[in-house]
Amino acid sequence: MAIRVNPLLIDDLERYGAEDVQKCYHCGNCSAVCPHTDETFVFPRRSMRLLQMGLERKIEGSLEPWLCYYCGQCSTQCPRDAEPGETMMSLRRWLTSRYDFTGISRLFYRSPKAEVLAMVALGLVVGVGLVAWGLGNGGDIRVYDGERAFLKSHHVHVFDWGMAAVLVGLLGTNAARMWWFIMYRDKESRVPWWLYVKHVLLLPYHFFTQKRYAECGERKPWLLHLALMLSYVTMLVLIMFFLGHMQSDTWHWQAHLPGYLATLGLLGATAWMMRGRLKKITPLHRHSHESDWVFLVQLFVVAFTGILQHVLHRTGQPLAGNVVYVVHMMAAVPMLVLEVPFSKWAHLVYRPLAMYFAAMRREVLRAKVPAPLPAGARRVQAA
Amino acid sequence: MRTAVFFCQVGDTSPLNVDSVAKYASNLPGVEHVEVLGVRPPLDPPRIAERIRTVRIDRIIIAGDQPGFFKPAFTRAMDLATRSPQEVFLAPFEAWGAPGEDAEERAKAIVACACRGVPFTLAAIPAKTPVHPATLVIGGGVAGIQAALEIADAGKQVHLVERTATLGGHMAMFDKTFPTLDCAACILTPKMVSVGQHPMIDLITYAEVEEVSGSPGAYKVRIRRRARRVDVSACVACGICAEVCPVRVPSEFDAGIATRKAVYVPFPQAVPNAYVVDGDACTWVQTNGQKCGACARKCPKACIDLGEQDRVEELEVGSIIVSTGYEVFDAKRIDRYGYGVLPNVLTALEFERLTNASGPTGGRIVTRTKQYDKRTKQDVWVFQPDGPSPRSVAIIHCVGSRDSAYNPYCSRVCCMYSLKFAHLVREKLPEAACFEFYIDMRAFGKGYEEFAERIKAEGTHVVRGRTASVQMVGEEMVVRGEDILQDRLLEFPVDMVILAVGLVPATGTEELAHRLGIQRDPDGWYAEFDYDGNPTETQRGGVYVAGMCQGPKDIPDTVAQASAVAAGVLRSISSGRGSGHLASLTLSQIEARAKTLSRPT
Ligand SMILES: Cc1cc2nc3c(=O)[nH]c(=O)nc-3n(C[C@H](O)[C@H](O)[C@H](O)COP(=O)(O)OP(=O)(O)OC[C@H]3O[C@@H](n4cnc5c(N)ncnc54)[C@H](O)[C@@H]3O)c2cc1C
Ligand code: SF4
Ligand code: SF4
Repeated sequence: MAIRVNPLLIDDLERYGAEDVQKCYHCGNCSAVCPHTDETFVFPRRSMRLLQMGLERKIEGSLEPWLCYYCGQCSTQCPRDAEPGETMMSLRRWLTSRYDFTGISRLFYRSPKAEVLAMVALGLVVGVGLVAWGLGNGGDIRVYDGERAFLKSHHVHVFDWGMAAVLVGLLGTNAARMWWFIMYRDKESRVPWWLYVKHVLLLPYHFFTQKRYAECGERKPWLLHLALMLSYVTMLVLIMFFLGHMQSDTWHWQAHLPGYLATLGLLGATAWMMRGRLKKITPLHRHSHESDWVFLVQLFVVAFTGILQHVLHRTGQPLAGNVVYVVHMMAAVPMLVLEVPFSKWAHLVYRPLAMYFAAMRREVLRAKVPAPLPAGARRVQAA
Repeated sequence: MRTAVFFCQVGDTSPLNVDSVAKYASNLPGVEHVEVLGVRPPLDPPRIAERIRTVRIDRIIIAGDQPGFFKPAFTRAMDLATRSPQEVFLAPFEAWGAPGEDAEERAKAIVACACRGVPFTLAAIPAKTPVHPATLVIGGGVAGIQAALEIADAGKQVHLVERTATLGGHMAMFDKTFPTLDCAACILTPKMVSVGQHPMIDLITYAEVEEVSGSPGAYKVRIRRRARRVDVSACVACGICAEVCPVRVPSEFDAGIATRKAVYVPFPQAVPNAYVVDGDACTWVQTNGQKCGACARKCPKACIDLGEQDRVEELEVGSIIVSTGYEVFDAKRIDRYGYGVLPNVLTALEFERLTNASGPTGGRIVTRTKQYDKRTKQDVWVFQPDGPSPRSVAIIHCVGSRDSAYNPYCSRVCCMYSLKFAHLVREKLPEAACFEFYIDMRAFGKGYEEFAERIKAEGTHVVRGRTASVQMVGEEMVVRGEDILQDRLLEFPVDMVILAVGLVPATGTEELAHRLGIQRDPDGWYAEFDYDGNPTETQRGGVYVAGMCQGPKDIPDTVAQASAVAAGVLRSISSGRGSGHLASLTLSQIEARAKTLSRPT
């Protein structure tokens, strides 16, 4: 099959934050200093090349961007200031928009204005809807819990589950498309079904440990990232399964204690990350795309209003509690319905999937006979 | 032609008042639109195209320190606006000397010429002046030697000032030259000898130019002759002085891989072939005559005067040729290559001396070995003629060149000398593996591509991708890099690494430029008058540049440029009229000339 070239690929990628792809002259420095490169996946230079040549399909099917955690070594050492690390970051955004079939992700990444507008619009709909629902169902804005509660937790619970179903559906199709692009289309290294079984445990493993991030060199960013992710997942589980406990007038330490810890984790981690981006501490922070800010600010607001409505409720101010609760939902629903499947959040799914796919690809390629090496040279082995 | 002038700067250090130049530009004939965009402005071609369409522009002039930087955006804009993209012209201030004195007037003149469509260098030709027949050459490398010989052979007086104790420059250090693999000394030594013996050449070694005054065609130059402490005319280079001298310091000529005494002759073929006392190393000089003085006592010719002082002398010359050459990039600045830490990581110049038959190992390629130094009571790493030969050698290209962190430019000769090294390694050590790591192979000259192919055919492994690092892994020295043609990351265990270091202007270039009143490029090399049309003169009348000091070049180009310079000097002497300073031209003079030259519209 002829290879199709898209000469405007770099221009397109610029809308996702990449700037200097053309400057690269392929010295290979970046790949050699990258702590994540191994014998099968050599990057980021290869991605720079594919971009310069406009090989859209190959980029679409590439795993490398998901194997990069932006330690920034490559960008620091690049002799041409070609910012390979930032290119990988932009590629992750670009791929996210490719995996999403609706086109919403593409719209959000290319137009932060549209993203914010959509959030606000959906937030308003949720706000109005909730108030109407609460009043329409005999709720009393001055009551937080019980029969006459303004927003009854079992109603909200049903609503949450509905939302979760939409979310899983969207993320599921995205993941399926990712598999299609990367694994299905790759005719050269077909992966047999039993490898899918063999490596399946990698999925939860990488999801819960994010071990690869820890290999970047510094431990702090990894810990921060892990704290944020675990807090988020904890919160999700609590809300999906224990919402009634969380919102009742009585104490349920099994739900409340982890809830507080998770809130603390969310607030602390987002605040710390925002500080990093403001102060531009590492190469990662030097370039912030608008979508990165939306992500952090939104998460912070959701966590903050979440704990605030709880505190207000507990300190006997049900009216204020209910108002903040509505605000909380106005922020949380757009986050879950729009951000998680269509924006930065989605990497929660793509990262572990990429590690899973990579492990299989490695195994398949290792079985093939590699090209001969110059006398005396040896391959760099996986860490 | 309806013209628009856009002002864009790359750097913000220029003291130039751009607004006033812009105001001037808006009054030039044909200029319909002037815009000052500032320092590194974000340029949006569609927006500029919009402007082009509304003001109905059909020619654009970009004015600024380095306007070429912005050209692509404007060309694209013209294209978008369906105008001819060819109609984008530059008014480069830096290239034509507007950062100097009278910056504003100069910038105005540059813009005026651009608006008239006349090359600045054609309109700004300074008036001619009478020329004194003697010439000063600064720097006695192959460039200075060639220029001096050409002029002297034509029967004109030359004063050649060289900073070190001998003629020869870098070329004298080499064994073979690429691409012919001719013996460097066989070409250079006869020329050096001719200079030493030429009745029309006054050779002043161990000296430097201290001050330049006067005007084009009639310069007065003050020269400081550093105390050599050996009478050149009496010394027979018997070497008894060096035998008795107790001081050892690294030898400059051997690029530091061997030592010399405090009284020394740089190399056996030195011109003048006489010894010299290094005052900074000499015990007698350093102790004010309290200690040592052995050489002076032992010299059979009694020609050593350790108490000699510097002398200053004045010369009158009509033309000055600057040929001060280069130095190599300091590889210690890039830690990841381990230079200065790992004993067997060498720079190119060090390898030149190692492989040279007149070098410390007699031309045997060996690795450094540990040796106990009795005086300092420490282990030192030295090259010994009977040391072990490396089983594998890596050559890394572009060290310090083409790198935004160091020098952005290509040093031009390192690809070729690296290939030469690969040949020498394979010739002398056929068993050894040789790897060459490059980004692009710049084999641009006559016979160079063929040379590169030959080296590959000889069995050198040419790996595309500059290596990232040289490290010790246990006992092994390992070079790590990406083989970009195969998309794989490789490690090469090697015994020796040669860094193809880039080139930088010689120390003192900045001061000398200041003394001579000539400009330098952003990269530090001396700026020629006009790169395309007049690459040998500078903006200061009667001051010429030759060889590497004007920018990286190999020996053939250096020699060619030196001969071209000599032709220019001889032309001015025989016609009795040489160029004056560009700075002496007024704005209205340039404007008037541009007007007469401009094509009728
Ligand atoms: C490792 C290496 C290998 C090379 N191999 C080759 C090759 O094989 N073939 C080839 O064509 N080219 C080769 N080159 C390039 C070659 O060295 C240059 O092209 C050539 O030497 C330039 O000559 P030059 O006279 O301009 O400069 P130089 O040789 O540097 O001479 C400059 C002279 O000026 C003197 N000087 C400096 N400042 C002052 C001052 N202020 N006052 C007075 N004197 C001063 C210096 O002492 C020196 O003697 C090689 C370069 C390197 C680094
Ligand atoms: S280090 Fe920079 S120039 Fe070199 S290959 Fe990587 S991106 Fe390209
Ligand atoms: S000549 Fe070759 S090695 Fe030297 S800077 Fe240029 S490209 Fe690099």
